[in-house]
Amino acid sequence: MIVAAPAAKDRVKFNVGGRIFETTSTTLANAGRDSFFGPLFDENWDLKDSSQSAGGGEFFIDRNPDCFAVVLDLLRTGDLNIPPNIPERLLYREASFYGVLDHVRSAKWGPFDGNRLRYSKSISGTAPGDGTAIRAAPDGGCAVAHGSIVHVYDWMLSEEHPPLTLDHQRVNDVIWVDPENLAVSACERLGRGDGGLGMFNKTSGQLRFKFQVTHDNQVKSFTAGALATAQNPNHRIFSSCKGRSNEYGIGVWDQFTGKQVDFFYESPGWSLGDADRLQWLEERNCLLVATLFPRKDNCYISLLDFRTKDMVWSWSDVGAPMTVDERRVRDGIAMEGNNAICVVNEYEDLGFMDLRMNGGAIRWSSRSRLIMKGRMPDDEPCYPKLALHDGGQLFSSMNDCISVFCGPDMVMTSRLRRGYGGSICDFSIGGDRLFALHSEENVFDVWECPPPPVI
Amino acid sequence: MSNQKKRNFQIEAFKHRVVVDPKYADKTWKVLEHAIHEIYNHNASGLSFEELYRNAYNMVLHKFGEKLYSGLVSTMTSHLKEISKSIEAAQGESFLEELNRKWNDHNKALQMIRDILMYMDRTYIPSNHKTPVHELGLNLWRDNIIHSSKIQSRLLNTLLELVHRERTGEVIDRGLMRNIIKMLMDLGSAVYQEDFEKHFLEVSAEFYKVESQKFIECCDCGEYLKKAEKRLNEEIERVTHYLDAKSEIKITSVVEKEMIANHMPRLVHMENSGLVNMLLDDKYEDLGRMYNLFRRVPNGLLTIREVMTSHLRETGKQLVTDPERLKDPVEFVQRLLDEKDKYDSIINKAFSNDKTFQNALTNSFEYFINLNARSPEFISLFVDDKLRKGLKGVSEEDVEIILDKVMMLFRYLQEKDVFEKYYKQHLAKRLLSGKTVSDDAERSLIVKLKTECGYQFTSKLEGMFTDMKTSQDTMQGFYASHPELGEGPTLVVQVLTTGSWPTQPSSTCNLPSEMSALCEKFRSYYLGTHTGRRLSWQTNMGNADMKATFGKGQKHELNVSTYQMCVLMLFNNAERLNYKEIEQATEIPAPELKRCLQSMACVKGKNVLRKEPMSKDIGEEDAFFVNDKFSSKFYKVKIGTVVAQKESEPEKQETRQRVEEDRKPQIEAALVRIMKSRRVLDHNNLISEVTKQLQQRFLPNPTEIKKRIESLIERDFLERDNVDRKLYRYLA
Repeated sequence: MIVAAPAAKDRVKFNVGGRIFETTSTTLANAGRDSFFGPLFDENWDLKDSSQSAGGGEFFIDRNPDCFAVVLDLLRTGDLNIPPNIPERLLYREASFYGVLDHVRSAKWGPFDGNRLRYSKSISGTAPGDGTAIRAAPDGGCAVAHGSIVHVYDWMLSEEHPPLTLDHQRVNDVIWVDPENLAVSACERLGRGDGGLGMFNKTSGQLRFKFQVTHDNQVKSFTAGALATAQNPNHRIFSSCKGRSNEYGIGVWDQFTGKQVDFFYESPGWSLGDADRLQWLEERNCLLVATLFPRKDNCYISLLDFRTKDMVWSWSDVGAPMTVDERRVRDGIAMEGNNAICVVNEYEDLGFMDLRMNGGAIRWSSRSRLIMKGRMPDDEPCYPKLALHDGGQLFSSMNDCISVFCGPDMVMTSRLRRGYGGSICDFSIGGDRLFALHSEENVFDVWECPPPPVI
Repeated sequence: MSNQKKRNFQIEAFKHRVVVDPKYADKTWKVLEHAIHEIYNHNASGLSFEELYRNAYNMVLHKFGEKLYSGLVSTMTSHLKEISKSIEAAQGESFLEELNRKWNDHNKALQMIRDILMYMDRTYIPSNHKTPVHELGLNLWRDNIIHSSKIQSRLLNTLLELVHRERTGEVIDRGLMRNIIKMLMDLGSAVYQEDFEKHFLEVSAEFYKVESQKFIECCDCGEYLKKAEKRLNEEIERVTHYLDAKSEIKITSVVEKEMIANHMPRLVHMENSGLVNMLLDDKYEDLGRMYNLFRRVPNGLLTIREVMTSHLRETGKQLVTDPERLKDPVEFVQRLLDEKDKYDSIINKAFSNDKTFQNALTNSFEYFINLNARSPEFISLFVDDKLRKGLKGVSEEDVEIILDKVMMLFRYLQEKDVFEKYYKQHLAKRLLSGKTVSDDAERSLIVKLKTECGYQFTSKLEGMFTDMKTSQDTMQGFYASHPELGEGPTLVVQVLTTGSWPTQPSSTCNLPSEMSALCEKFRSYYLGTHTGRRLSWQTNMGNADMKATFGKGQKHELNVSTYQMCVLMLFNNAERLNYKEIEQATEIPAPELKRCLQSMACVKGKNVLRKEPMSKDIGEEDAFFVNDKFSSKFYKVKIGTVVAQKESEPEKQETRQRVEEDRKPQIEAALVRIMKSRRVLDHNNLISEVTKQLQQRFLPNPTEIKKRIESLIERDFLERDNVDRKLYRYLA
């Protein structure tokens, strides 16, 4: 009876928990084939016709209508507006039902850019003591290590997942192997075989396997330190290891089997097993290993090639003359694109070394030492740390703020600070978010970029 | 503290689970299981997607994901076992059709099941490291259908049988074939490769092995190649129609190996139809086919190239050493050019201008052209011939083409300086006798030689042209300053710079008095304008036009050489002269005189003189008269001298010797140049450096170089090292 105008053909009517919604199939197509709405237009299902004939032209969904309204609005506009009367979690759950969680996430925060970051929120934890490390997950969640426990947060920043612990040993580092699994390195316990390195499932909190180290065909307990992963060419996980009988070096395992595949022993006069930072350099097929002051009296930075069992690049400040200002390297990170290693000292001066040249010296950029000098906090200083984002942006934490450096000359372009919680002891970038963990209070801040403007 | 917390958490989780009615899970699963059955039975229209989705969602939410997943696996497996039976039951032709139909059904069902279980796919499966629904469905299909014992080998055999039938010319259902192969590919590249491709390649290899054997027994080379090409194209086409694109390289390499690589030598050397015959008969199409096919196999092109090279060298060698050919230099060079053209067009048309073939051609020509020491002379003679007469009425572009071809042959020559010698002689003759057809062509060739060999090579040749031009101006000046000379005979003098022109032993003769007076005038005019020069007359190179009236009053203009003119002028004052008298009066050297008398008295149609006795040769005692009965159809009569166009043996030796003499200073210059820059060098290196430097002009003989080194040592340019006698030092 109704003339089937093209617009009418396109119309879809829903009855969601008793409320009627009308929309168009084009709007719903925004949700994608892999969503609840995908099959509605699939020829196999034939749903439109059958539902229309059965329920007076409506398609019934037994869900919360208020949330549906928000989801529908999101599909219509790409913009997320959650009314105050709907708890965020409830909305997320409904979005998860419809399979549009990714839409919600990308409507909440946009692609990462260090210069557009906005403070989003702070999360307080229950664990006592100083935080050790915070690691951003690929999906926007994070893991926070405090003492012997690791708290895992999903991207909604609620701690849904069970906390992880490796025999209740002190945790040294955490790394996300993939969005579902994370590896935890911990100190060993004398004579018990506890501690070491384990891989956990995020959702269940179960220990999937412990990575073992064998020396001369004997399984030995060890203290695992800094961690790194490599996806290319083969899925590897690296850890600095300290064994009981001086078996210091870098252990290498397969991510899927958990089996040890290699061990790079520390040579005399050098340091690998105490490393503070490991970083896999994909283009060079090398692992960067950095042991820094004050863990050791001297700093050692080297690149290891596991194919040839070679140290292909190395730098150390052993025997370097003491300068008046006593600049010691506190952290280092390789920037493969620039063929450089960037280092930072306790005054947050950046220095650069050329990766193509072995045995070069650090070229300090004499930037801000004087500015910073007057403002050194007296209690518990946190040493600077560095992080890199794909886009070529460099981040450095110092006291209670994080500086952003951009461009070929790494000039400072932004500074992130939030007064509460004391110095920043660690920070991490991932899932388009930046997490900063404070040392005095058990609290971490989340920074994200606003989504691209809709209007 | 944290222990405490953990326990609390566990208790809570436990409680949570208890709340849910275990029957609820069973009930929900029953609904879903029923739905899966309905989907497989094509009864999906009665199902409510929303309800099923919600049920699956609830099961996962209430931690029954495992139950849902394992239920799915067993339900799907049992359905596939049913399907497997119905496929097995299909008879003959309908087997593939049934398989294809069921595969489509399964895919459709799989998509719908995945839709229902989408929530599980998204949440439960990744966190529990299970196989996603779609992949699971494919894996189950693979394990229960494709790898079922009753289907696996039957499927393979059916597919291979179909391919075989298509190869033998039958028409098969390519669409069905494509669908089945696509299924195998969808199941993963490993399935496609293990369950089909591997066997397919083996069977194909066997097929082509037999077939190629059959073909080679009964076909000639061209035909065989045609068939091989057809087969290759068929296989490529087969891949595009229903196989994985990645198989193309594999199957083509099977065909290439079986049909080409294994039979290469036999094909190339096939009697009456092999490569040599194709080359002889200019079978561009067959050659092109051979090139394209052989290019695909390792060493294929090498084989062709080697056979072509050896054939080319063989025929070339025959060509240049055939004594028959040596009789006609023009023909000789023309044959070389034809041969070159032939192979150029073969390489162009059949071998896609392959660089390596062009190089092989060049090398072969270089090889055999230099087998004949007279090649430089012949090439120069060819040019001489072309520039004397051959270029009349030919367009400028064609002239260029011919000259370019000659240059190409010139490039192959090792002894370029020998060519230069001959070219100079021939050019001199052309210029002096005014026989050159086109000044432009002459100059163009010289420019080409200049770009090829440098300024030094052509400076003398250019000098010759300049002389010609200045002589013209000089003559104009001469007659302008002597207006009284308008009447008598006209003298045209070409003043040749010594050194630029090929020197010839100047043998003067007594000119007739009219002429010698004129010559004297010219000499004083010339020396008056150019001080400090010396003129000597090259009467052996001149010619003259004279008017003569014979017995019955018939008038002719005779074109003769200077010597002949001298002889004829004597008869103005005498009726009869014998040989001795003529010799005395003219003082022409005896061999020359004999030749010029011979050409005037013994050549029919040109016999302006009569001789007694009448014989072919000129004797010391012969007497000569004016031939009053001389007649000719033409007013102008050209009386040529009997000249050997080609060099005679002693002349050749002489030229050769001159060339060798000329080479000495060049070798020495090269030696000094090299030693000056190197200061110290050992013998072998010095020899090779000199050879390299001089290669452009000629290939120096090592013993000659050695002699030159000795000579330089004698003259204190070089010395031997005191310790190592093989070392030479340069003495500045």
